[in-house]
Amino acid sequence: MITKDVETVAPPPPAPVADEPPQRPGRRRRAWDEAPRWQIYLPLGIYLLFTLVPFYWILLFALRKPGSTSLVPWPMTFEHFEKVWNERSFGTYFENSVLVGLATLLMTTVVALAGGYALARFDFRIKRAFMLALLCSQFVPGALLLVPLFQIFAELRMINSLGSVIIAETVFQLPLSMILISGFIRNVPYSLEEAAWVDGCNRFSGFRVVVLPLLRPGLIAVGSFAFVHSWNHFLFALMFLSNQDKQTIPVGLNSLMSADSVDLGALAAGGIIAAVPVVIVFAFIQKWLITGFSAGAVKG
Amino acid sequence: MKISIHRSSRGGRRPAAVVALSAVLALTATACGDDGSGAAGDKGADGSGKGKIVFWDNNGGVRTDIWKEIIADFEKANPDIDVQYVGIAATEYQSKVDTALQGGGLPDVGGVGAAMLAGFAAQNALEPLDDRLGKSSLNDRLNKDMVASLRAAGGGDEKLYSIPTSANNGVLYYRTDLFKKAGLAEPTTWDAFYKAADKLTDKDKNAFGYTIRGGAGSIAQALDAMYGQSGITSFWDASGERTTVDDPKNVAALEKYVGLYKKVTPAADLNNDFTKMVAQWDSGTIGMLNHNLGSYQDHVKAFGTDKFRGIPQPAGPGGKRVQVSNPVDGLGLFKSSKNKAAAWKFIEFATSKEQNSKFNRSAGQVPSNTDAAGDSWVSEAEPTKLAAQALTDGSTTIVQLPYYLPDWNTISKTDNEPAFQKVMNGSMSAKDFLGTLAEQLDTAQKEWNEQKG
Repeated sequence: MITKDVETVAPPPPAPVADEPPQRPGRRRRAWDEAPRWQIYLPLGIYLLFTLVPFYWILLFALRKPGSTSLVPWPMTFEHFEKVWNERSFGTYFENSVLVGLATLLMTTVVALAGGYALARFDFRIKRAFMLALLCSQFVPGALLLVPLFQIFAELRMINSLGSVIIAETVFQLPLSMILISGFIRNVPYSLEEAAWVDGCNRFSGFRVVVLPLLRPGLIAVGSFAFVHSWNHFLFALMFLSNQDKQTIPVGLNSLMSADSVDLGALAAGGIIAAVPVVIVFAFIQKWLITGFSAGAVKG
Repeated sequence: MKISIHRSSRGGRRPAAVVALSAVLALTATACGDDGSGAAGDKGADGSGKGKIVFWDNNGGVRTDIWKEIIADFEKANPDIDVQYVGIAATEYQSKVDTALQGGGLPDVGGVGAAMLAGFAAQNALEPLDDRLGKSSLNDRLNKDMVASLRAAGGGDEKLYSIPTSANNGVLYYRTDLFKKAGLAEPTTWDAFYKAADKLTDKDKNAFGYTIRGGAGSIAQALDAMYGQSGITSFWDASGERTTVDDPKNVAALEKYVGLYKKVTPAADLNNDFTKMVAQWDSGTIGMLNHNLGSYQDHVKAFGTDKFRGIPQPAGPGGKRVQVSNPVDGLGLFKSSKNKAAAWKFIEFATSKEQNSKFNRSAGQVPSNTDAAGDSWVSEAEPTKLAAQALTDGSTTIVQLPYYLPDWNTISKTDNEPAFQKVMNGSMSAKDFLGTLAEQLDTAQKEWNEQKG
């Protein structure tokens, strides 16, 4: 049984003044609380317009008939989707991208969790240098390491294998993920883990039972970041995978563009297929994502 | 606060499920890899003429379907050879091959056009094909100019490293409906071109006379316009060491051409690569577009065949038409291939009459196989017919661009496309731009001559 050392009692809020809306204690009234609604919604609306017009354009090209110059996708056709999914192997690319995305998500999260725990809870001699190395590794562009990575994977007989892309993506995701996770773990009071040990846990089970549930926002943030990044990443998949049946969505999209001619309808349909999973992921996890990133980044 | 540490059955299954899923994903993902063998310097082997070969298409995309059809025909005719097709976007092809040259994983056969040939040959990546061609029934059936062009682009050792599949040519596409409405004559001369560009522009109605290429690929198009107007017929002067790009006539021509920007073109043309340029011509109200035969089918989809025409570049001074060369495309056999006999069979098959005709009909380009060039579709597709005539009937002088220079791609793209944008927006003069370009070309040519000895 664990009890709080000090019970704190909040002072009672001041009584509200009759003609003014009640205010929370310590909260200052800000200028935009009283701003007319149009001053808020107009800029937001303009911003939204800029964001949505390109999406509308993609939808328009994807859904209207080839050769049509209509500004509305009517009569609507799904032939571009059928074409890219069946004839251009987007079904296969989609499966491969899902596999790469999920595997990268799992590997990044698990390894970052272990590394982040070590950074947060242990003091060791080269900790500062290690953190510096993690940060510096973010400055190395992937293109610079292409040939050495290619040679390593060739030695491991992993060229033309999704494993090469998964490992490369995980390695490039890990530094930032470990730094973020270590920030989340530092926010969990060490005394909670100690209390778990007193109750009979070892370090691992204490971590699993006490710390892990509290890291959910952070794990979702790191995992989704890893998934989305590997989903969209083009370079490693292009270079390490040559078999058409192993390629991923970004490479498939790129291969829709010839040197002299582009099937814009197919390209737009492929773009929508590529975007939908990412949009769905963000729609479900946005609450956790914002909480997670702010907690890990600010309080780390 | 009480902490329960008892192990629930659900909590115990979750980590196990995650570990199991990770293992399954990892095993699935790492299965069936290979060592990517085949890098620059590997000697390869002739092989048994059977088994699997890998083919990298240097212009994957809309050509994928026709290549798959050709491969299906080939596999039917050669049931003991399996061809694995890999379509790679033209923009990424060079970097993909360069990485494979360093790290391994080259294919058996790859698309190798004149623009990339010098770089690959310099790295000793390609097999000379003269002997194989000499013994082949193809030998006298390939367009001699295309073979000569690829031979010249191959690195100066007079060997042939790529078998031509097709030739392209610059085309001036114009909207016949807009010209008719404005009462304009066909833009067969540069004077008619400038007059039409001016007359068809009505910015208030978002109508423009021309769309200029300011983004990727801008230099070749600008050179085409320059030499077309100046009438200069050679890229090098009589000494062969000094380029003519900064000749005063070319400077004047470029100034006039770049002067079209924003006057009769959309302002967004500053970043126009071919994709944007073709898309806005096909979906907007723009009178004229310079591109090559490759986009013909896109225009047919957008307008049908009765609202536009594609003609060779306008004629310059004295009615003389001068155009710069477009790179001839071809198929190369990589030296590292361990199955060269089967790879050569595929190259032979793909450039045979029937297959070469089928391929070029789909791509809208000029066939390399002389028997295929006589097929009826060539005269039915007007731009292809006119381009084929321009390339063969002596009415047009072709200025051969120096594709043989290993630095050509760097000079004509990376180094100078941003500078051309400066010329378009007025922060650099055409004279300074061409002066710098000439200096770089002269240096590259000098180095090239020294290497050749």
